Amino acid sequence: MIEQVERELELEASVEEVWDAVTGDGWLADEVALELLPGGDASFRSGPTEKAGWVEEASPPSASEDRTASLVFWWAAEGESATRVEVTITPGERGTRLRVIESRPLELLDLVGVPLPGAGQRSFGPAMVAA
Amino acid sequence: MIPSDADWARAALGEPSRADAVFGALSDRTRRTLLAAIAAGPAATATELAADLPISRQAVLKHLNALADAGLLERERAGREVRYRVTPAPLSDAVSWMTDVGEQWDERLAALGRQLRGERTAGG
Repeated sequence: MIEQVERELELEASVEEVWDAVTGDGWLADEVALELLPGGDASFRSGPTEKAGWVEEASPPSASEDRTASLVFWWAAEGESATRVEVTITPGERGTRLRVIESRPLELLDLVGVPLPGAGQRSFGPAMVAA
Repeated sequence: MIPSDADWARAALGEPSRADAVFGALSDRTRRTLLAAIAAGPAATATELAADLPISRQAVLKHLNALADAGLLERERAGREVRYRVTPAPLSDAVSWMTDVGEQWDERLAALGRQLRGERTAGG
């Protein structure tokens, strides 16, 4: 079973407004630092809760002709295994459609005995996940 | 409990109807709330669960049946009453992860909706 959570919401705002809200402080965490390029660093802090990770893919609305935007990143709290978050922002019928999928594909590796990147260690990244 | 490779392969590749049933059962917010409530405490009856929720015992029973049919809950007969508890790990681990993470996204999306509506109003 693939462990995955999927949510979708139609917002009365432009793709650009949603992109700014999604990537800025206050939504994913109180303080968000995202290096918006593949392999870029990501950190998320809300009070005492801190998550670290990296960016797999970042396509702001300005970079696409059809005004869609997407952000894919991995995050993990200290001592927990990393999960993958895929955010897709597309123009909707009345506003903007926001779709979020969070999955923990790495749990499958855990089940077959592959040590988890991000589990019990601070650093994890594309190379480790690809390996 | 760690499943064997064969179990894992079967779970990952086969039985799509089972996976559909699980995700179908979890697609409803009330059912996720129920599942989280049952996972948090000892085995509970429909009456006990209904006491903490703004829905009828009859409605709770319907949701419990859906969760049990998907294999997420087990029924336990004790005299005249039926108690429900979450099916043991590893599924319950997956379920609690999906329940927790699902709730977090529900809250984030609701907050984003409020924030963007607020900005709209404030900006004219």
